[in-house]
Amino acid sequence: MNEGQLDNQTMTAPGPATAREILARAEALQRTMDVAFRDKIVESIYTDAEAITSRVVRQQGSRYAHLDQRIDRIVTSKVWGLPLMFVLLAGVFWVTIVGANYPSALLASFLFWVEDHGAALFAGAGLPWWVTGFLWHGVYRGLAWVVSVMLPPMAIFFPIFTILEDLGYLPRVAFNIDHLFKKAGAHGKQALTMSMGLGCNAAGVIACRIIDSPRERLIAILTNNFMPCNGRWPTLIMLATLFVAAAFPPSLAAIAAAGSLVLIVVIGGLMTLLVSALLSRTVLKGEASSFTLELPPYRRPNVLRVLYTSIIDRTLFVLWRAVVMAAPSGGAIWLLSNLQVSGQSLTDWTSGWLNPAGHAVGLDGVILLAYIIAIPANEIVVPTILMAYTSAGRMVEIDNLAQLQHLLVGQHGWTLMTAISLMLFSLLHNPCSTTIWTVYQETKSTRWAVVSGLLPLAIAFLLLFILNQGIRVFGLI
Amino acid sequence: MVIWIVILVLVLVLLWPDRGLYVRWQRRRRLLSRQAIEDALMHLHQRQHERRLASVESVASMLRIGTNDALGLVQRMEAQGLLTATGDGLRLSPDGYHWALQVVRAHRLFERYLADETEVPMEEIHARAHRLEHTLSVADLDRMDAALGHPAFDPQGDPIPTSTGEIPAMTGCSLVDWETARPAQIVHIEDEPPEVYAQIVAAGLGLGMVVTVVEATSTRLVVEADAVEHVLAPVVAANIWVHEAPQAAPGRPVERLTTLTVGEQGRVTALDPMCQGLTRRRFLDLGITPGVLIEPVMQSAFGEPTAYRVRGALIALRREQSDWIWIEAKGKEQ
Repeated sequence: MNEGQLDNQTMTAPGPATAREILARAEALQRTMDVAFRDKIVESIYTDAEAITSRVVRQQGSRYAHLDQRIDRIVTSKVWGLPLMFVLLAGVFWVTIVGANYPSALLASFLFWVEDHGAALFAGAGLPWWVTGFLWHGVYRGLAWVVSVMLPPMAIFFPIFTILEDLGYLPRVAFNIDHLFKKAGAHGKQALTMSMGLGCNAAGVIACRIIDSPRERLIAILTNNFMPCNGRWPTLIMLATLFVAAAFPPSLAAIAAAGSLVLIVVIGGLMTLLVSALLSRTVLKGEASSFTLELPPYRRPNVLRVLYTSIIDRTLFVLWRAVVMAAPSGGAIWLLSNLQVSGQSLTDWTSGWLNPAGHAVGLDGVILLAYIIAIPANEIVVPTILMAYTSAGRMVEIDNLAQLQHLLVGQHGWTLMTAISLMLFSLLHNPCSTTIWTVYQETKSTRWAVVSGLLPLAIAFLLLFILNQGIRVFGLI
Repeated sequence: MVIWIVILVLVLVLLWPDRGLYVRWQRRRRLLSRQAIEDALMHLHQRQHERRLASVESVASMLRIGTNDALGLVQRMEAQGLLTATGDGLRLSPDGYHWALQVVRAHRLFERYLADETEVPMEEIHARAHRLEHTLSVADLDRMDAALGHPAFDPQGDPIPTSTGEIPAMTGCSLVDWETARPAQIVHIEDEPPEVYAQIVAAGLGLGMVVTVVEATSTRLVVEADAVEHVLAPVVAANIWVHEAPQAAPGRPVERLTTLTVGEQGRVTALDPMCQGLTRRRFLDLGITPGVLIEPVMQSAFGEPTAYRVRGALIALRREQSDWIWIEAKGKEQ
């Protein structure tokens, strides 16, 4: 800044100047500034701040040089960095899936007990059957289902994840594998938003706020869906145990099932990188982009903050949105299965129409219908499929594996290929409406919200079509 | 019944205020005519700058329209008092000149914006700005000007007119006329014709860079910039404008941050002038300012990014980013 010149001008200006004169003068002076004057302002701010710090803050040794540096050497080392990361992430998911089983079952039995009693109460009060059915077996049951499947894993996953975040470990993960993401035109922090997506895609999309570069942030938002969220895990686990495990000898069954789940996540990761590369080289080429990654010092997690951010900010927030979306969907499911036209329920009609499209991609009409109804919440895909297959009036669950196998394989002709197609479809298809709405909220753009929904759907259909038709043509199975 | 609903929907679609098809069509037409007028104004302005006169034929060929359409356009503009037609050609009126300057301003402001705040490649910026320059009102332009911090020059070094129509003076001479072995700073790069401009961009030459002519013959110019030699055809070099380089402290070693290895230390001397917009702001936010000590602490297993300690914080940068930062190496930390 030409400070000297400015001082001279103000000092020698005769008499008080009018506002207009001051503005004109300011404009003229502004033209004389050289391009770097902003840098100089920032520099002078930092110089002042440094002067103040050196007067009032006393520092004893360099903390980083000791403990932090030693930890960093291990977690970012060539040998230990990546294995440590995989072990930690795998551990988090194992704890989440195993730990959520029991509370989920408990919560489900309680919520469905409430349903039975509520329905009995309504029936006892003499209300018509369709009021009871729609409200209790439709709206409430859909809601209860989503809550019982979704709440326990999120209540376990989010706090653990927040602890890792609070520790300062997660930015090191981004640091370790940034190179991979750079090649795809994305940001290393996308690894974190992807991990978050494994818990819930809507939360993953919100987490993309940590990426400060507009282009990379948009990429991370649009591709988050390729990480299977916990609403999709039950479907994937069911298929892995029922079909993949069955294709191997009993001694290898458990490993095969777990391996197929890992494979699904790996395919999701590859798709994320592929689509990221595609987006950054085409439609998002011109968006602003920059990379800086702060590696904060390690610190002890603050328990209260962890609980607050994970429970209030993430779990309840996501749950509330899902509940708002799931309730109408539960109602729609009940109507579809209970309204009859010419002696057939609407479910049968629509799944009949969808059959040709379903068969083309290795699925069937019922599965496609379930995915359409389950746009608000992926948790209810399998219950809806079972409802349609058994012609029940409401969503059902079958705990007995043999019975389930008999229904799917024996009565409805599912093969290993159906299971593989369904696993891939579950991984790649459009995100739930909560996530799409979140994309809109985060980007404030209808266009990106639509793209985030249609792009994965198109990819899923295209890939499955090629896969199934290819196999049919070449007669591989 | 159904027919009436269909008709109602059609009428609504057509006549809906602000979004109906009719309003959109009208707006498009107005935009087209505005674009035509502004393109014609720019053409006249350019011709006047070259001390030549424009004609109806030259307007027609510039706008790629028929002579009849061009005549109609010129007559409309004359009726609006934007130009005067005399026997020898067309001249801008004071009103027309003022408007033309606003279009120049819009074009150069958009170029500045696209260069600093987006990743649009330099050789595409001109064409994009040309499409965008007709879309804003003068009030919008003032806001954009303020948001960009009242830039004085566009990314090619052309002066941006102020809202009152003043153009800052441009200094410098063509690189072809510059003497050898005397450091010069690039102040302006002509972006027309695009083929020549693309060559300059491909050579990595940009505004603010300090270059030295090593050898000049009638067929080629050898230019050194950042310790790399470029061979340019004179017709290319003629499109680069330079002036006296600011006196750099002689003998001071200047390196990029990328050249430091873990354990060494350096002092930041400058942020590259080519680095603008988002990245530069991030650097400044993080306290990477001239004079600050910076030290690579660790490298990712894949060789990139590298984490640097600066002002007590640990910040990882990719190679592209650390290439923007110029330092003076201080050797091993004591």
